[in-house]
Amino acid sequence: MSELPRGVEQAFGVAAAELGLCTAAWLFVRELAQAGGPLLVQKLRDSLGRTFPVLDAVAAQWLDGSSIPVIDPQAVVAACAGSKTVLVVGFEADFFDALLAQLAGVQFRLLRYSPFGVVDWERILTNYDERVGLTDLSDFQRWAGTRSVVLTFLYGAGDHSAHASPAWLRLVGEDVRAQFHSFIGWDVLRQPMYVYPRWLVEVPRSDFSVLA
Amino acid sequence: MNATQLALSAILLTALVLQALLPALRVLIVLCAAGLACLSSTLLGVGTTHQIMAEVPWDVLILLVALGLLSDIFAHSRLFGLLALHAARWSGARPAAVLLAFAGAMYLVSGLVNNLTALMLVLPILLNLLKLMGVHQRYLSWTLGVVLVACNLGGAATPIGDFPAILLLGSGRMTFAAYLVHAAPPTLFALLILLGIVTLWIRPQRGIDRDPLSARLSVQVMSKLYRNVRLDKRRFAPAAALLLCLLVLWTIVPSSSGVTADLLCWLGVGAVLLVNTHLGERLLRRHVDMEAVLFLLALFVMVAAVRRTGMFASIARQLGALPVSPSIQLVVFLCLAGIMTGIFSAGPSMAALLEVGHSLAQRLPPHAVYVGLALSVCAGSSLFLTAATSGPMAQALTERAELRGGDGEPLRFGFFEFLPAGLLSFSVIQTVALSYAWWNVR
Repeated sequence: MSELPRGVEQAFGVAAAELGLCTAAWLFVRELAQAGGPLLVQKLRDSLGRTFPVLDAVAAQWLDGSSIPVIDPQAVVAACAGSKTVLVVGFEADFFDALLAQLAGVQFRLLRYSPFGVVDWERILTNYDERVGLTDLSDFQRWAGTRSVVLTFLYGAGDHSAHASPAWLRLVGEDVRAQFHSFIGWDVLRQPMYVYPRWLVEVPRSDFSVLA
Repeated sequence: MNATQLALSAILLTALVLQALLPALRVLIVLCAAGLACLSSTLLGVGTTHQIMAEVPWDVLILLVALGLLSDIFAHSRLFGLLALHAARWSGARPAAVLLAFAGAMYLVSGLVNNLTALMLVLPILLNLLKLMGVHQRYLSWTLGVVLVACNLGGAATPIGDFPAILLLGSGRMTFAAYLVHAAPPTLFALLILLGIVTLWIRPQRGIDRDPLSARLSVQVMSKLYRNVRLDKRRFAPAAALLLCLLVLWTIVPSSSGVTADLLCWLGVGAVLLVNTHLGERLLRRHVDMEAVLFLLALFVMVAAVRRTGMFASIARQLGALPVSPSIQLVVFLCLAGIMTGIFSAGPSMAALLEVGHSLAQRLPPHAVYVGLALSVCAGSSLFLTAATSGPMAQALTERAELRGGDGEPLRFGFFEFLPAGLLSFSVIQTVALSYAWWNVR
């Protein structure tokens, strides 16, 4: 099989909106690699890489020999030790699921904000138990406290900056910084992107008290 | 027709026309018209407001509210999402199979619970699947159209599926078992004919190339989106047990005992809400479909006022005086029911026509009249996108989903996109209704 499936761009958009850019990218790359090998993965990269830079980076990783994503939540688990609530900004299904399994007894609140427009957050929530709930930009400060941390997923982190969801900029202000115990960035891509980081924003590395 | 009949019928007809022309104001229109009907009725000496209110079929409203709450409990158990996921998996994202699986699933679900609730939860999943599959306009229009019609047919298949059938059950003219036995087979037959014509002759899937990779990717993404979703047995088990009990009790307890269908439903749903204490209280306070209750209450008031003038009996007499055989009279009545429903929607049509139906049922086999009427109302509900409440909701959900075709062009689902499916469905269901009535009357 050497042709990309029809409507692949729209399909990736659906997956990325509800699973996260990195999780969706690995899913698509795996499936296409299984069907058509490196040739089809390269075609996917050529076709959608500029629109979805995380997909481009993941495809490049796969072509360089990494067949599965590195999902190691231990550093984040350590940073969350003693926390009662984790406010999650942005969403990556595979990574969040791994973290959730490691942090028994901790409450999670997903910030209802997506660069992809309308996302059915209630449906995302049906995958989880009562520990996981939703919050909005208007009321997330209800979850603030000395035992509360803010976690976001990063897409490549350099010496001075990292790429995060635009939701991060909406949330983190000087007033908010004083209200949470720590701000954790989890680099889920682990390499820089090759093309313009559409859907993401560049934020200073100093925004984060812990970078995993 | 005397002046009293003319005045009250004019209020009813004006309200029906206005609510059809201005659906955004339909509840306000019918409520104001109902108040006016009460005033006119009192001043013209037809009956006081108390007398009219006493004729409102409250049992129907109780059934409607209670079954709506039961549907909400099922929705909270995640049943509909899982059903949609299984339909997606079973179909393997093959275009023809997706159409068949979702239409079949919605037919079954709509027979047992409120189809609006079910559709609200299943349609976003279907739309996501269609996005993943990369479909074109023709396929989208026919698939959504057929799914909506399957909901209407499922609703007509059982006495608790949709308002017209609930009205029949509440009126006590047909028992639960009798309606089920007589109505389920023709609705299933109509669905099979419709699905056969659509998938084998119209073939909306034409032009969507067979693409195993696209199909596999679609199923994989759907599975990932619902990776941890499990049925909430704490909510599902009591609701399912109650529904089963109600089905048995409705079948074996005679309405002459005084323990009526609505009372059984009231007590049963109350018990399930008690089991789900906090959710039950929340549903009662915030999720009762007051729009439907007020709309139907207003219609019942207007119909009761017109009934007291003897208007419906007069229409029934005129129908009976037609110089044709009773079976032809029934055919005329059913055709009228189908067209009226297409224009005025199911609630108003059924509320008004059932009165005439009762008169016909005294001279013809009751099941031929009532099931024929329910099928004709179902045909009318399927004619235009605006004829059933689920139509505008499907339109809104599709717009919000922002579907695009293979070339990136935006896909739509509105009045005209639905029309081909509506015309075909109306023809098929109305033909089945007429054939059914003819067969049982001859």
